[in-house]
Amino acid sequence: MSQYLSGRVGQALLVLWAAFTLSFVLLQALPGDAVLIKFQDPSMGLSPVQIAEMRAAYGADLPLWQQYLHTLGSFLHGDFGFSIQAGVPVTELLAGNLPPTLRLAVLGFTLALVLALFIAFVSNLVPLRGLKSALLALPALFISVPTFWLGIALIQMFSFHLGWIPVINPGEWVGLILPVITLAVPISAPLAQILIRSIDQVQTQPFVSVARAKGASRSRVLLRHIARNATLPALTIAGLLLGELIAGALVTETVFGLNGIGQLTQQAVNNQDLSVLQAIVVISAAAYVAINLLVDLIYPLLDPRLKPSVGVRS
Amino acid sequence: MYKSRRISTVALGLSFALLAGSSSAWAADAAVKGGTLIYLEQQAHTNLYPPAGGFYPNGGILNQITDKLTYQNPQTLQIEPWIAESWTTNADKTQYTFKLHPGVTFSDGTPLDANAVAKNFDTYGLGNKEHHLPVSEVINNYDHSEVIDPLTVKFYFKKPSPGFLQGTATIGSGLVSLSTLARDFNALGDARHIIGSGPFVVSSETLGREVDLTARKDYNWGPKDLKQQGRANLDGIKIIVTGEDSVRIGALLAGQADFIRQVQAYDEKQAEAKKFPIYAPSTRGVNDGISFRPDNPLVASLKVRQALLHGVDSKQIVATLFSPNYPVATSVIAASAAGYVNLGDKLKYDPELSKKLLDEAGWKPGPNGIRQKDGQPLALTIYESLPQPQNKEVLQLVAQQWNQLGVKLTILAGDAGSRVADSLDPQKTPVNVVEVGRADPDVIKSEFYPTNRDALLQLGGLSSKVKSFKDDKLNALLVDISAEIDPQKRLALAGDAQRYLLDQAYEIPIFEEPQVFAGAPYLHDVSFEAVGRPSFYSAWLAKH
Repeated sequence: MSQYLSGRVGQALLVLWAAFTLSFVLLQALPGDAVLIKFQDPSMGLSPVQIAEMRAAYGADLPLWQQYLHTLGSFLHGDFGFSIQAGVPVTELLAGNLPPTLRLAVLGFTLALVLALFIAFVSNLVPLRGLKSALLALPALFISVPTFWLGIALIQMFSFHLGWIPVINPGEWVGLILPVITLAVPISAPLAQILIRSIDQVQTQPFVSVARAKGASRSRVLLRHIARNATLPALTIAGLLLGELIAGALVTETVFGLNGIGQLTQQAVNNQDLSVLQAIVVISAAAYVAINLLVDLIYPLLDPRLKPSVGVRS
Repeated sequence: MYKSRRISTVALGLSFALLAGSSSAWAADAAVKGGTLIYLEQQAHTNLYPPAGGFYPNGGILNQITDKLTYQNPQTLQIEPWIAESWTTNADKTQYTFKLHPGVTFSDGTPLDANAVAKNFDTYGLGNKEHHLPVSEVINNYDHSEVIDPLTVKFYFKKPSPGFLQGTATIGSGLVSLSTLARDFNALGDARHIIGSGPFVVSSETLGREVDLTARKDYNWGPKDLKQQGRANLDGIKIIVTGEDSVRIGALLAGQADFIRQVQAYDEKQAEAKKFPIYAPSTRGVNDGISFRPDNPLVASLKVRQALLHGVDSKQIVATLFSPNYPVATSVIAASAAGYVNLGDKLKYDPELSKKLLDEAGWKPGPNGIRQKDGQPLALTIYESLPQPQNKEVLQLVAQQWNQLGVKLTILAGDAGSRVADSLDPQKTPVNVVEVGRADPDVIKSEFYPTNRDALLQLGGLSSKVKSFKDDKLNALLVDISAEIDPQKRLALAGDAQRYLLDQAYEIPIFEEPQVFAGAPYLHDVSFEAVGRPSFYSAWLAKH
């Protein structure tokens, strides 16, 4: 088990280093750089000589390999450098933007999961054919609603029209209600679809018939016997939905004017703020690796067949 | 509609003054003290080093927290006392002496004295390499400062610098404490590090999201010619970044905010219908338009540039996309700018003339409708400029209009990196979006001079990719504007520069760019500095 773990951690570090290097190379390959973009901005009104001086002062004219080693070295020391555009240390930007995004993502994902489970289970149990097909149509509807539009519509309806929830200057948690809904709806769609399909599949298995034959009720069979088996594929997808969650967070943060990694990324991309982008890439890679590791570790808990056979080396 | 707007600067200024003042006509002695203003910004501020105050969100903060040596009256454009009670200058404008108002302090308690002012302008005029602080755009030919006594400071210039006095009144010349100047440029994105002497102080900040300002109770040194004296009426200002246009206007109309920046022209009616005043102060500089890079052979010929100039129907663009707050351009600079000359006759829309000029220049209609010469199509590329209002839509209309002449214009969005790199290459971007605000004739030099913004891309300017284009006559004119010490002659030179730029068809001015704000009906006495940054010093919120 410990060998398995250390292998996975080593793999994770390799992925992180690759992500760092690849992003460094790709970002360097783009035309222009943050120093140029910042100081070339006409509103700064600098002369070419002054711009060249600023580039030299920031080390933007050093050979690439030197910049690479310097950046890598600083990263290993936990120093992510300065954001040239925002004029603050990157760690400060991350400290201000990471927690709100995490909160939004965790709440959004939780609500998405609840929505998906609700749709899948209720559509399975409900006896009315019309209601059932309406519920089954929901994921398709949810996935086709643009996040951006949904956010604006929710704001117009619940904040501006009904005046229930302020968008400007709301309380910390009140302000999250609409963004979390906005983020959860499109994420819940693929989860619900996978759940519905795998419930259907599991239902045809012999052990379900056995349970039914023993006289268990529909809901008991669903919750006790099917759910556990049907959630496995959904869990796999959940790990992969991280990308979607980040993309959704970007749109949600923009619409609701929230601070977070999404809007930070967008600005950093716009300004080629290398140090910020580099930090975001590495952090995203770390999150991705961590979540997939977590999923891998949860599998055996849900499905005993996947438990690594302790003590037996094959 | 357009004719009446073209009549004069006075009418324009007056109508704006009326608009801005209408809600406060009977408010002279009824200003309510207290309350916090909720101000929605479109973008987060970036680095707040005062010379970087040109970026609108930065200016919106700096204008509340910093004072300037002098105050430029936004109506008359005259320079009035502020931190400097009086000043003198020598005949050739190479020396300026300022007498300071006694008893002024920065919010950290340190004195705003001759020493502090000297350090400020040494930094803005020369930069500070050690701290990565760049030179200010508005200060030309700076040499050094001299502290005569604690309240008298003198500045020396290498060459005449007639624009300096106005430069001391601009947003980029906000005075900051020695502790701020001692910080590295990298640290000045944190608004709390900007220690000024203004009527408001940064009390807290959530990076990228919100800046909270609190009124300074002991503030007693506002411009002495203003009606407002003593401390600000408001207790504080909450500046909240709200990027989405519809959310800003919706929140204002729903009563969740008091003042918003960047109202799109198509949202103005919605606000006016609910009696929410629109404020559209002019940025009084080089108009929003398109400049040519004559180093590119496609636009090297005067006839081609003239054809394209007369092929742009600015009236149609403004009527389609904008509102009466966006006057059609009648010269290179705005009608309310210093030195403006009405050159509307040189800017007539005349597609027939355009076609004739293109024929004469040897560009014949090709098989696909695009004109050709020696097998090369007349196809141009331009980058959209994000800070300019509805710039993409403007360029799309220009593309349609040029298309009728047989000229193709491709509009690229691009990330900032490619935009910056490509826009320095005349071969890649033969045309470019221009606009800059400053209420001094120097603004024309800022936009077109090779070592300033270099809008035309000349040899020896910003770009190393320029092969040969250089206009010595234009450059001499621009240098003369920045160095002429007789104010009348200086305005005359500014007129010559506008004429020359249009005669050479170097630029196509389209409209005069305002900064457009909207406020709640119960918000009174918001004012704007000479290039449209809001000031909340005298603002107050009536009971509502």
